[in-house]
Amino acid sequence: MNAVEVRGLSRSFDGREILRDVSFTVGHGEIFGYLGPNGAGKTTTIRILLGLLAPGAGEVRVLGRDLAADDEARARIGVLFENNGLADRMSADGNLAYYAGLYGVEDPAERIDELLALVGLADRRDDPVGTFSTGMKRKLGIARAILHRPEVVFLDEPSSGLDPGAQRMVRDLIIELSRREEMTVFLNSHHLDEVQRVCSTVAILAGGRIRAFDSVENLTAASGRPAVTVSLADPGDRARACETAGRLPYVTGCDVNGDHLHCTLADPGATPDLVAALVGAGFRIEEVRRSSRSLEEIYLEHVGRAEGEA
Amino acid sequence: MSTFRIIAGREMWLALRNRSILISGLIFAVWLPVMSALGIAAGAGEEVTILAGSIAAVTLPVGVFMGYIFCADAFLREKRDGTIETLLCAPVSLRRLWEGKAAGVAVPAYLMTLFSAAVTVAAVSTLSGTPIAAEPLLLLHLVVVVPVWIAAAAGLIGAAQLALGMRENQILGFVFIFGFIFLIVGLQQVAPGGPGLSWTTEALLAAAGAALLALARVIAGKVTKERIVRTIP
Repeated sequence: MNAVEVRGLSRSFDGREILRDVSFTVGHGEIFGYLGPNGAGKTTTIRILLGLLAPGAGEVRVLGRDLAADDEARARIGVLFENNGLADRMSADGNLAYYAGLYGVEDPAERIDELLALVGLADRRDDPVGTFSTGMKRKLGIARAILHRPEVVFLDEPSSGLDPGAQRMVRDLIIELSRREEMTVFLNSHHLDEVQRVCSTVAILAGGRIRAFDSVENLTAASGRPAVTVSLADPGDRARACETAGRLPYVTGCDVNGDHLHCTLADPGATPDLVAALVGAGFRIEEVRRSSRSLEEIYLEHVGRAEGEA
Repeated sequence: MSTFRIIAGREMWLALRNRSILISGLIFAVWLPVMSALGIAAGAGEEVTILAGSIAAVTLPVGVFMGYIFCADAFLREKRDGTIETLLCAPVSLRRLWEGKAAGVAVPAYLMTLFSAAVTVAAVSTLSGTPIAAEPLLLLHLVVVVPVWIAAAAGLIGAAQLALGMRENQILGFVFIFGFIFLIVGLQQVAPGGPGLSWTTEALLAAAGAALLALARVIAGKVTKERIVRTIP
């Protein structure tokens, strides 16, 4: 059984179709990135998964249960929306104690101490949350979301509105939590760098449909044929080296791209032969790297295609 | 501790630390009784039951209004800030959430109404020279009828604030207040004992308050999470 299962999910608002036949699964312990442009339907999907909205068609399950009608199952889920779910007039400690009561956390004082230390807010525990910076509120929001040791935690745009330092802190915290608390993390984001660094699997939602769903490794590697980038010690040799490489039987294409060569190969194992051939021809190689596309390129390609269809 | 007590306790804690709402409530709790006391003392003479009846007539609208201003913090603010969405994901039913919040609103509203009633009694007693505080029907009114009406107001207004959008809430807030006030005045007029303080008037008001509370519970049961989420601004 997967932690999250979505099958044939569709949903319309006022006659406008937001989600169309959306299907994906998230395995236990995975950090799953749900990507898409603003208005793509990411938050709608999360709300349907959490039982806040009803699906128009299809089926959703979290830990095999329908959260809309299952209080007990909701106790196994953590959630962080953009507003953090905190009362500004209450202290950090008071906010966590309130949610600890609602979720029936055993030994709440010890758990709150542990989490405030984890997110670096132990010395601000008695201060009203309204006096906190955006980053501190987000950290406390994450602590609140995992207070009851949920099996699955939904994070909706956790880095939104944060400065780069705070974004990194949130990223590290997500990885730490996944490892330390063995949680499944459902990360709703359009912060592509964050998703590429943190997530093991991603789905790209655009135009109401899932455009890609795979591991980050497979998505970024799947650029058609395998390719390598070759940097030469003498940049003046680039054109001749490209010509030489282009004549090799296992090289299907070679271009000069900026200050390096970009060679596509018929066989991913041909890289050592290419290096040997170039060195044999007298070229001095400084660096060879396997080429892969960034998640951003893949994302923009899918979103662009969806916009073209629209 | 039950989730009802946890939710109600938090709402009370927040209400009693919301300076702007407390100041608004205190101004209303003092200003209206003092203004009313002048009229009551001048119009009712020294007849204790008529004086007490006039005080009772003032306390119900004050209680309803207190319920309304505390609801703005417990229900509307939570919705405007979007934090209600997080609460809806907690392992608590929507009905329990509504009950806890309505109770958390009703208690500070009731305390503020009692304070307002004390100010009214003191002002009327001073101006008329007649001691009123120990009038049994007035005590019954304050202990039974007023809390039931405040709970009904908090429940109905709270359910409406959860279900309606922000603009509708701005408009309908006053409709609720005036609706309640017209209902109270109407019931006092049609009560067999007349507008003064009488057992029949108090029984009628208590029954009407209980019916409104039951109606609030039915309406709250019809509110869905989807309705709440779709009306978050």
